[in-house]
Amino acid sequence: MIPKVAVVVFPGTNSETETVRICRDVGLDAQALHWTHASRIPEFDAYVLPGGFAYEDRIRAGAVPAHDPLMDYVIDAAERGKLILGICNGAQILLEAGLVPGTGAVRRPTAAFTYNGPVPHFVCRHVYLKLAVDPQRSPITAALPADALFPAWAAHGQGRLAASDEHLREIEQGAHLAFVYAHADGRVDDAAVPNASALRCAGLVNRQGNVLAIMPHPERDAWNYNHPDRRESEDMLAPSGGVRIFAAFAKALFST
Amino acid sequence: MTMRCVAIRLKIPDNQAYTALTTLQRLNLEVARVDRAEIWVLNDAGEAADFLARVERNETLFNPNKHVLHVLEERVPREGEVWIEEMDQDDGDDLRRLGRPVAGVIGGKRYIGWRLFDDGGAAPRTTVMQAVEQLLCNPAIERAIIR
Repeated sequence: MIPKVAVVVFPGTNSETETVRICRDVGLDAQALHWTHASRIPEFDAYVLPGGFAYEDRIRAGAVPAHDPLMDYVIDAAERGKLILGICNGAQILLEAGLVPGTGAVRRPTAAFTYNGPVPHFVCRHVYLKLAVDPQRSPITAALPADALFPAWAAHGQGRLAASDEHLREIEQGAHLAFVYAHADGRVDDAAVPNASALRCAGLVNRQGNVLAIMPHPERDAWNYNHPDRRESEDMLAPSGGVRIFAAFAKALFST
Repeated sequence: MTMRCVAIRLKIPDNQAYTALTTLQRLNLEVARVDRAEIWVLNDAGEAADFLARVERNETLFNPNKHVLHVLEERVPREGEVWIEEMDQDDGDDLRRLGRPVAGVIGGKRYIGWRLFDDGGAAPRTTVMQAVEQLLCNPAIERAIIR
């Protein structure tokens, strides 16, 4: 049985096409599911919240979609252990919904991906993400090797993790810091961080490990033609490094 | 130096306020109308008489085709209103960060003012508090100021 994945589309979402495509490329039965079809949510085995500007980022990025009736179903699915992956704006929605880091109540966020620092600016930059937890911490990362490194594109104005000192400590001590920014050789330092994100955070996971929020876009470095270091001799349509996180996501779904 | 306070509102339909209204109603809050304004508390070294005109000349802050601007007598939220303040990464001078000075103004702090109304007028404080907790403020990055 091929797992069914809903790529959730709110008004203003803009990355659903490439997200559906990469999910299908790794063998999943993925389809875009619009917010007006929330009642179909239970049909799916897992959910991906893709990037964009859901509800035009009104009030705050992720705040309004976090209260959309469709998210009632997603929150319920998360509580029942289904796998949920949020990318960029999808990650912001998961934080506003309180699903990640999940250290507070539902829809009572304890952290945010907010305006980039040190001064607010939009960043469009090729980056690398490094796995910062034991791969077994989350079913979604379980198929990745320790210290896995993969490429992605950071494309956001609000991707800086911010939280109180107390909540940042909870994130560190609870092993919620799933991914950090890194250089191509795997080194981790502040120069690799495009947005002054606290803890050099590029991704967060919830306590149970079934909800993962990633700020940069691995689906935009999923084929060679997306990758800045591609060689002309390479097959432009062959998978690139960003595909690995989706392959791991698929492996987790096939094994459940 | 005098602290002066202005509210800049859209005079065209405010889709963001409308979205806030429909979301708050979905959360079962008794709200019939939401007004949104940019609130600027400015540290002014100029004359009071031409203060409004000086602010209006800053095209980044004020667009006469879509904004209305008025001076607030008090530098605190009105009844039914909350001011949302972003917790800054730097010195808190939002006007400097805007990159376009206002003549005579040394610096300024920006808030987003949300004013809630029910059928009887300004919404009670309890409703405003609920709106803050459930939607209007993420305490990880924002602070809410209520009268």
